Amino acid sequence: MKSTNDDLENLIRRAQDGDEHAMSSLITIHKALIFTIVLRMTNDYDASQDLTQETFIKVFMNIKKVKSAEHFKPWVCMIARNLVRDYFRKVKRSKTVSFEMIKDFHGQSNIDATRRRMIIQSALARLTEKDRMLLTLAYYEGMKLDEVAEVMKMTPSNVKIGIHRARKRLKKQLEGYEHELLSAG
Amino acid sequence: MNSCPQAEKIVDYCLDELTDREKENFQTHLKTCDICQRELRIETAIENELSEEFDPGFIENRIRARLQLRQAQDMRSFWLYTFRMAVYGVTAAVAAFILIPLLLKSLLGSIPSLSQCAHEAAELLGTLAPGNVFIMVLGFCYIAVFVVSMYSLVQIRR
Repeated sequence: MKSTNDDLENLIRRAQDGDEHAMSSLITIHKALIFTIVLRMTNDYDASQDLTQETFIKVFMNIKKVKSAEHFKPWVCMIARNLVRDYFRKVKRSKTVSFEMIKDFHGQSNIDATRRRMIIQSALARLTEKDRMLLTLAYYEGMKLDEVAEVMKMTPSNVKIGIHRARKRLKKQLEGYEHELLSAG
Repeated sequence: MNSCPQAEKIVDYCLDELTDREKENFQTHLKTCDICQRELRIETAIENELSEEFDPGFIENRIRARLQLRQAQDMRSFWLYTFRMAVYGVTAAVAAFILIPLLLKSLLGSIPSLSQCAHEAAELLGTLAPGNVFIMVLGFCYIAVFVVSMYSLVQIRR
């Protein structure tokens, strides 16, 4: 874990000096996280690609502000969150669910899996922005509770309560679809 | 539909928020409760879906290209901003040194020249006569108006 942080620290330092390879590596490490967050928030594949790119542009324009590697991931997520908020201000509300556009990168074209994804995503879209963000961050592998707290500007205990409530609200939105979720799973 | 009172604990169970004893009790309950087993399977399906990550594909080069373009645009706008500020500054200075004497003329009937001000100020350093305080105030006025003009123009520009 320490060496991973050291590697990240080194990449950040090199990126601060303008090293393009280090920038590319930082993008490669974090792009799936940012894209997943943005896609879950917006439901729009094309907009998510743009917003992911915009996030990294903002990151590198301000990379000199980064003091330590441990705050880098939450900081990048916070930039993405702010950009998503700006996006919502422009388009008012999320558009139609376009999750079917997502290519299944495991190589399966499972109709049930796609349908399950759309059911959960449309239930997620009916939650508040805060609930969606909490759930997306909390369930993203490797995202620690205190990192989620840093992104959300909340205390870790409030994050815990927030996730708990958001999950209950999501489950309420999924009432009536339980059978499909079970059959697809 | 959901009639098991223990089903409320499923979210806590999945979030690992139960104490060891509660968890043990719930696991024992799970073995015999069909409703909770079903609810847990739904929770797991949600969890599996939410933990899935999406790959935007190879976007590294596009980001770097857009970053370079943005930096070039920023550099251009920086120089444009600096040039504008210089023009505003000169305008403010000219305005200050033309308008204040005109204002003073209308108030006092005569315009004290800059060299007169400087001369009086130099003399003041030696002998601070109460009557000469007016000249000092006038000097400060010149500076204050210049600073305020510059600040206002910067604010307007923003």
